[in-house]
Amino acid sequence: MPTALIGTVFESHLRLGFFKKLNGNFLIICSVLHTSRPLHTTQQCLAPLPPLPEKGGEVRYGLIPEEFFQFLYPKTGVTGPYMLGTGLVLYLLSKEIYVINHETVAAACILSVIIYGVKKYGSDVAAFADKLNEEKVAKALAVKNEAIKDLETAIEREKKEQWRVEGRNYLFDAKRNNIAMLLETNYRERLLTVYNEVKKRLDYQVAMQNLKRQKEQDHMIHWVEKNVVQSITPQQQKESIAKCILDLKALSKSAQAAV
Amino acid sequence: LILLSMLFPALLFPTPNNRWITNRLSTIQLWSLHSITKQLMTPLNKKGHKWALILTSLTTLLLTINLLGLLPYTFTPTTQLSMNMALAFPLWLATLLTGLRNQPSISLGHLLPEGTPTPLIPALIMIETTSLLIRPLALGVRLTANLTAGHLLIQLISTATTALLPIMPTVSILTTSILFLLTILEVAVAMIQAYVFVLLLSLYLQENI
Repeated sequence: MPTALIGTVFESHLRLGFFKKLNGNFLIICSVLHTSRPLHTTQQCLAPLPPLPEKGGEVRYGLIPEEFFQFLYPKTGVTGPYMLGTGLVLYLLSKEIYVINHETVAAACILSVIIYGVKKYGSDVAAFADKLNEEKVAKALAVKNEAIKDLETAIEREKKEQWRVEGRNYLFDAKRNNIAMLLETNYRERLLTVYNEVKKRLDYQVAMQNLKRQKEQDHMIHWVEKNVVQSITPQQQKESIAKCILDLKALSKSAQAAV
Repeated sequence: LILLSMLFPALLFPTPNNRWITNRLSTIQLWSLHSITKQLMTPLNKKGHKWALILTSLTTLLLTINLLGLLPYTFTPTTQLSMNMALAFPLWLATLLTGLRNQPSISLGHLLPEGTPTPLIPALIMIETTSLLIRPLALGVRLTANLTAGHLLIQLISTATTALLPIMPTVSILTTSILFLLTILEVAVAMIQAYVFVLLLSLYLQENI
């Protein structure tokens, strides 16, 4: 911004100077100034800048650099600069080069106000500026640290994946065993069903045969009985019944005798 | 010479010299510039941000000119009515013309507050027009008057102090009163706020940018 102001003033001054000569000249000069503006504004060198000094130059009384005192020390000792200052002030006053007028009082007032303000709030302002810078640096550092942390977690995850890959064989074996067991179970089940089916068929055959034999047997018994019953004539029936009665009587007699 | 005194404040600000972490002065200046810009630009919509550069630089210019004018044996350009009018009039005119050009009916509609009873309308329009036209005068004269009055008071009271130096107690009382006046006069800072704020007020009252 200030170089912009200075640049425009420079151009306007040039404009005033050359206006009487030629307008073309003024255009050339303006264009040259504009193109070479980066030459004046930036640091003209893209290499990294040297770092800023940590502390500002030492000043005494806020105005006069310490080098001045050191410069005068060999010749005049410690009180040299003070004598110089006092003598200069007294000279200016006595010769009326600096006249004491109303502005002196105003100067004294405003200087006291400024010094009071600086003494009271100076360190706070400096701390604030430092805090701003610190925040800036901290933000960048935070970005860097987060990136590092992310990369580290990525590395750990990768290592874990590699370990997992090593153990993959076991996984495959276990899976293979599982599958083999499943197949085995399936096979056994099918075997069982086959066995059951065959047994059912065979049982059926056996049952059929048994049934047939049973039927034959029954039929034979029935036929035999029927024939026997048929062969028993009525006369035989009567004889057998009479014999039975005689036997019974005999038995009853022997039973009565026994009692 | 006036040119010199107007340009000198620009030298006090170091350019941002492409360092990432700058010294304390640059950091503070950057921060204050950022806060001023943010403060000015939050009420405005997108198109108003075109005015950001001119308003911020105006703020900084007036601030430095006024603060440097408090030192002894300095010349404050803003005490001259010519300079303040030269700053106020074109800027106000610019806001007015942008408003009239982009949305003429709305900016003309600002001349009448809402909800006025019908018989009062002609009188109110006259009043609003006069207030509108008085704005640049007010802006310029306000700045000039405040600064001139302040400087004048400082000079008069210090002259009185110097003249009363042979008579002791009065002097000390007058000196303390000068000091108080000075601390209040460092509300020249507020002057700038007032100036740009009022400018901005008229700006977004147009609601055009």
